[in-house]
Amino acid sequence: MKRVLASFVAIGIALLAGSAIAQTQKPTLKPVPRTADGKPDLSGVWVGGGFALLFGDAELEAIKQYDAAAGRKPLPPPEPPPYKPEAEKKRQEFLARKGIDDPMARCLLSGVPRITVRPLPFEIIQQPHRVVIIYEVHHGFRFIPTDGRGHPDDMEPSYLGDSIGRWEGDTLVVEVTGFNTNTWLVGVGTFHSEKLRVTERYTRDTHDTIIYEATMEDPEVLTKPWKQYATLRLRPGERIREYECIENNEDIQRFEKLLQTDFNK
Amino acid sequence: MKFACVIALSLLAGTAAVSAHHSFAAEYEGDKPVTITGTVAKVDWHNPHIYFYVDVKDAKGGVTQWKVEGYPPNMLVRQGWKKDETMKVGDTVKVFGWRARANPTQAAGRDVTFADGKKLNCGPPAGTGGQ
Repeated sequence: MKRVLASFVAIGIALLAGSAIAQTQKPTLKPVPRTADGKPDLSGVWVGGGFALLFGDAELEAIKQYDAAAGRKPLPPPEPPPYKPEAEKKRQEFLARKGIDDPMARCLLSGVPRITVRPLPFEIIQQPHRVVIIYEVHHGFRFIPTDGRGHPDDMEPSYLGDSIGRWEGDTLVVEVTGFNTNTWLVGVGTFHSEKLRVTERYTRDTHDTIIYEATMEDPEVLTKPWKQYATLRLRPGERIREYECIENNEDIQRFEKLLQTDFNK
Repeated sequence: MKFACVIALSLLAGTAAVSAHHSFAAEYEGDKPVTITGTVAKVDWHNPHIYFYVDVKDAKGGVTQWKVEGYPPNMLVRQGWKKDETMKVGDTVKVFGWRARANPTQAAGRDVTFADGKKLNCGPPAGTGGQ
């Protein structure tokens, strides 16, 4: 793998670099599992973001040791989104309001690629004709056919869009379109239009990791394709649990009060 | 028992982390850390955040109740918490966190130290929510 790796989550890098916990056990490197048809098997429970929220110091150190043993390269920081001037002005307004407009905070389903880097796990179930992803957050799910079919002709704009997949060598490539405008791409204020198209690339570079690459194209608000990366980490023994966000979401009411205040003071 | 406001700015590594639910800055002030010591009065074990309430006594015998926001249950369980066992009403706790912008007796909790000295994270570092 010659590709230079990058990540959405600079947090992971920052903490891994700064950790100073004594190493107690050399990591075991297993081969990438494959299905009967020879494809890399992506099946398993994974998490793609918020490692510092989910893991303790010892586990963060184990991740660092694993990456070193596997020869994985450190990931450069993410690039800022290439918004057109008017769109960038709107994004800055969202930032000035400290993310209070975030659809996620109102328990709305996160879109692609943001849902991949939420700090709750998801399970990939790989079948010969399709890949299914079940996200713990918001009970999200995606069916990604890999049998050559195209997008349906009756798509309605939706939070996770419509996905079709194909294999390019050992990489699962997923084309996603048909989004509504109720999601942010990744990061505060990263709005988009219904013209958004996302191309995801999933490459299981080691047994415990998938390199996730997302290319976002939106001629309405972006000047060029915006590419972001993340490392997805295997979570052996983990299971997807129920997460009903709206259960006791007091934030919605508090936001209404906060919106009456001056956010720039 | 008492509570004390920690004046010093607390800079935590890696504050660009993703948020469990909402931007930290939307409701809390990362430059206003606070330490709350008192007795647990109530625990709301619900999504998208847990809330627990801590009664803090002052020198004159008055009681102020603080409301502390934490991770959702799923994230706490994965870090060793158990509902109704880890934190119970009546427990003496010391909570470190950051003040809410709109409520003077509300905080975003980062960690809890229990009477036996055990310390557990209960919420994200300040400044999270950039993703």
